Amino acid sequence: MANTDITGLIIITTLIFLIGAAFVLAYILIYNQRKKRHIEEKAQMKLTFEAEIAKTQLEVQEQTMQTIGADLHDNIGQLLSLTSLTLNSIEVGKPVKAREKIDAAIDLTLRSIKEMRLLGKLLQGDQLVVMGLSEAIRHEIAWMERSGKYKVSYEDDGELPAVNNPDKDLIIFRILQEILNNIIKHAGATRVRIKLGYTDGSLQLQVNDNGKGFDAGNLDAVQRGMGLFNIQKRAGIIGGEVSIASRPGKGTSITIITPYP
Amino acid sequence: MLNYFSASTISELICFVIASICLIKDSNVVWRSMVVYLFLTCVTELMGVYFAGPKLSISNHRVYNTYLIFEAGFTHLMFAFLINKYINSKPLIITGFAIFLLIYIWETVYNRGLQFNITSYKVSSVLFVVYSLYYYYLLHKDDHYIHLKYSAEFWWVAGALLFYFTNTACIIFYKPLSTMLLWNGHHLIHYIMSALNILLYSCWSYSFICRKWLTPTSLV
Repeated sequence: MANTDITGLIIITTLIFLIGAAFVLAYILIYNQRKKRHIEEKAQMKLTFEAEIAKTQLEVQEQTMQTIGADLHDNIGQLLSLTSLTLNSIEVGKPVKAREKIDAAIDLTLRSIKEMRLLGKLLQGDQLVVMGLSEAIRHEIAWMERSGKYKVSYEDDGELPAVNNPDKDLIIFRILQEILNNIIKHAGATRVRIKLGYTDGSLQLQVNDNGKGFDAGNLDAVQRGMGLFNIQKRAGIIGGEVSIASRPGKGTSITIITPYP
Repeated sequence: MLNYFSASTISELICFVIASICLIKDSNVVWRSMVVYLFLTCVTELMGVYFAGPKLSISNHRVYNTYLIFEAGFTHLMFAFLINKYINSKPLIITGFAIFLLIYIWETVYNRGLQFNITSYKVSSVLFVVYSLYYYYLLHKDDHYIHLKYSAEFWWVAGALLFYFTNTACIIFYKPLSTMLLWNGHHLIHYIMSALNILLYSCWSYSFICRKWLTPTSLV
C-alpha cells in the first residue's frame, strides 16, 4: 500500500474515533437537557397537584358549610322554633295539657341535640376522608338520604389496601360530591347506586342514577359546565379515567377508574 | 530552543498554569494533585525534547516509560474519585490499575527499558476509555440534574475520553505511524498527537476554570 493511502486511512480512522467520542459527549449533553426538562415538568405537575389538593380541600369545606347552613335553617332552626312555640303555648292552669306540651318540647329539644351532634361530626369536613374513603362516602350518603327524596344504596366491593393515599381519597371523595351535586341539581333522580371496588392496584367508583339522563355523546356547553369537566380534570390529575354513559330518560352511569394507592 | 515550544508543550504549559491558579487551594486533594501531575507532564515533555535534541540525541523512552506510571496513577486516582460519587469505585479501579502494573512490569523487564512500553500504554488508554464511558453511564443513570456546561467533572472526563479514545486509533497504527514521514520530514503521529493534546488540555483547562469559578459550592 502506498504511503499516501496509509496516511489517508490513518487520518480517517482517527477522525472516526474522534467523532465517536464527540457523539458520546453530545448524547450525554442532549440527554441531560431532557433530564432538566423532565425534572421541571415533574416539579410543575407536583405544584399543580398540590394546588388542586388545596382547592379540593377548600371545596369540600365549602360544601360542608353549605350543608350546615341549610341544616341549621331548615332542620334545627325549625325544631327550635317549634320548641319555642310549644313552650309558649303552655297554660299553667291546665297541668295535664301542660305536661303533654312539656314532653313534646323535651322531645323536640332532644331531636335538636341529636341533629347538633350530627352537625358537629360534619364540621370535621375533609377530616371525614382521614377516617377512610368508604366511611366518608357512607357519611355523605347519610346526609343525602335525610332529605327523604333519594334512596341511595352503597356497595363496598373488595378490600381497599391497608396503606391508603389521603390525597387521592380526598380527590375521589370530591368527585363523588360533584356527581351527587349534579344528581341533586339536574338529574331529578329518585334512586342512586354507588359502588366502590378495588382490584389489582386499581380503584373503581361507579355512580348510577335513574334520573332524566342526557345525550353523553353530544354534550352542549351548559351540560359540560355541569361539573363534568371538573370531574374529568380531577380524575386526570390522579392518573384516573372517567367514563360517562347516559341517554335521555335512561339515567346516568359515571365510572372512575384510578390507580391506587 | 524552538524545539521546546511545540503545540503539545505549549498547551501543557498553559494547562499547568491554569491548574496552578485554579486548583492550588482546592479543598479536594485529588483535584489538587492535578497540579503535580501537570507539572510532571511538563517536565517530562521538556526532558523528552532535551534528550532527543541535537545536544544529546539519545533515546527518551526511559523518560516516557517513567512518566507512564505517573500518568496511569494520577488518572486512575481521578477516575476513582469521580466514579466513587455514584458507586464504590475501589474494586474497578484497583483491578484496572493492577492489570496495568502487571503488564508494565512485564514489558519493562522484556524490553529492558530500551523501548517505549506501548502495550502498557495501549492497556491504560483502553482502561481510561472504559472508565470514561462508565462514568457517563452512571451520570446518565443518575436522576439528579447537573448543569454540565459548568461541570468540572464532566469536562475533565470529556477531555480524557476524546484524547484516549482517539488515541486508540493511533495506537492501532503505531508501527506504520512511527516510521511514516510526511513531505516536510515530520511524523504524522506528531500532528495527530499535537491535535489531541490541544483537545485534552483545552478540556482540562476549562474543567479547572469550572472547578474554581463555575461549579456551585454544594457540588464541590
